[in-house]
Amino acid sequence: MTRPGDDGPVAILRDVRILVEPGTLTDVVGPSGAGKTTLLLALARLLPGVTGRIELGGVPASSMDPRMWRSAVAYLPQRSALVPGSVADNLLLPWRFKVHGGLTPPDAGRLREALDGVRLSDVALERPAERLSEGQSARVALLRTLLAGPEVLLLDEPDAALDDESAEQVGRLTRDFVDAGGGVVRVRHLRADVHADRRLHLEHGALSEMER
Amino acid sequence: MTASAIATSAAAAARVGGVVPIGWPQLLLASMFVVVTGALALWMQLGVTKQLAIAAARTYVQLLLLGLVLVWVIRFNQWWAVVGILVIMIVAAANVILRRAPDAPGGLFLTSVVSMAVTGLTVTFAVTGLVIGANPWYDALTVIPIAGMVIGNSMTGVALSLERVFADMDSRAGEIRTMTALGATAWEAAHPSVRTALRAGLIPTINSMAAAGLVFIPGMMTGQILAHADPLLAAKYQIVVMLMVAAAEIMGAVLAVLLSYRRRFDREGIFLEKGMRP
Repeated sequence: MTRPGDDGPVAILRDVRILVEPGTLTDVVGPSGAGKTTLLLALARLLPGVTGRIELGGVPASSMDPRMWRSAVAYLPQRSALVPGSVADNLLLPWRFKVHGGLTPPDAGRLREALDGVRLSDVALERPAERLSEGQSARVALLRTLLAGPEVLLLDEPDAALDDESAEQVGRLTRDFVDAGGGVVRVRHLRADVHADRRLHLEHGALSEMER
Repeated sequence: MTASAIATSAAAAARVGGVVPIGWPQLLLASMFVVVTGALALWMQLGVTKQLAIAAARTYVQLLLLGLVLVWVIRFNQWWAVVGILVIMIVAAANVILRRAPDAPGGLFLTSVVSMAVTGLTVTFAVTGLVIGANPWYDALTVIPIAGMVIGNSMTGVALSLERVFADMDSRAGEIRTMTALGATAWEAAHPSVRTALRAGLIPTINSMAAAGLVFIPGMMTGQILAHADPLLAAKYQIVVMLMVAAAEIMGAVLAVLLSYRRRFDREGIFLEKGMRP
């Protein structure tokens, strides 16, 4: 995989092959600058000028509209970027886009249930997003992505800056998604989760399997 | 005959076609305002004295040159000479727009020219043809002053909107990336910035229309009244001018922003970070 550089293409990931099976959680660990975020952005088709081949269920990325791809292969950045507006505005954000046109957005009852499920019972749907703590924002951002129904979830250090309760809730939501048949690639800076189905190590642009 | 009656009669005699002529001594006298302002700026160490001097010199040179050219074009009154002047105005306006929008990406010259040309020509000829009824359609005496006002004002709106749309998208980079990751198109992700930019570009015009006649007497009406035109007729002309200027600003800003916002995105709708922009 290469990216355009000042003096021609620069190799960022070398001969990386990663297969994400439905119902599996893959952790990718590695030091800072190893290319972990780059790998996720490339898989989500959010990195310009990338070469290589990606498929979803046997369908090449190149034959899919990028917006359709991103709604199916959802990337969640390390720092949850909630948009200005209320919690409900944020949870319903995907349905403002054409790619979700024709799909019925969840009603207020479903949104309330989703928030209660991650111990955000005290957070009103009308609360402005800027008044959420970092841990609450992370949970709302993950809920938003999951409510839109992706097939694969790409998580960038989802619990790196969270308090214990938020980290636990994010981990549980991720596991529920996997148990329901979703595929997850999660990058972590320090160590892989012992509960991950597969653990890979990324360094100098190369992926290797880690011993359990 | 009293002293004031003699003075009035002398001023009336000095008028040429109802206009009080301004000679070189009066022009030099007017320059004293800039000299005083420049001295004040120097004393207060504002660091703008040089720019003020250059701007004042350019005002002299550019407007006198324009006057000389217009004398020739109006006397000559040929369609190609009028169109030539309009082309020069449009290209010059596009250059000014790019200088005033430093956050805008490169390669926007053509976009600016197209926006100014479509807006400037449409609004100018709509007003001269349909409202004023210029005959012939290229009548230099009518078309050039109207085009000057349309293009000049539209330029301000376009520059303000272009500057704002790119600055706003940069300030919303995180939000735009989030939207893109959730499947938004470039338009869906950029739309809040487009709205902000167009509002910023249009609000000065709307405010100006609302305050006209109450807070200030607009420039064209002032000019006509100074030239001893009927104030009611001057007011009617000013209404036409303000409405056409508003239309030109709105059209120009909308066109320029719609033609250019996508430059912050690549073909796949990815928002381009600063280091990745062409």
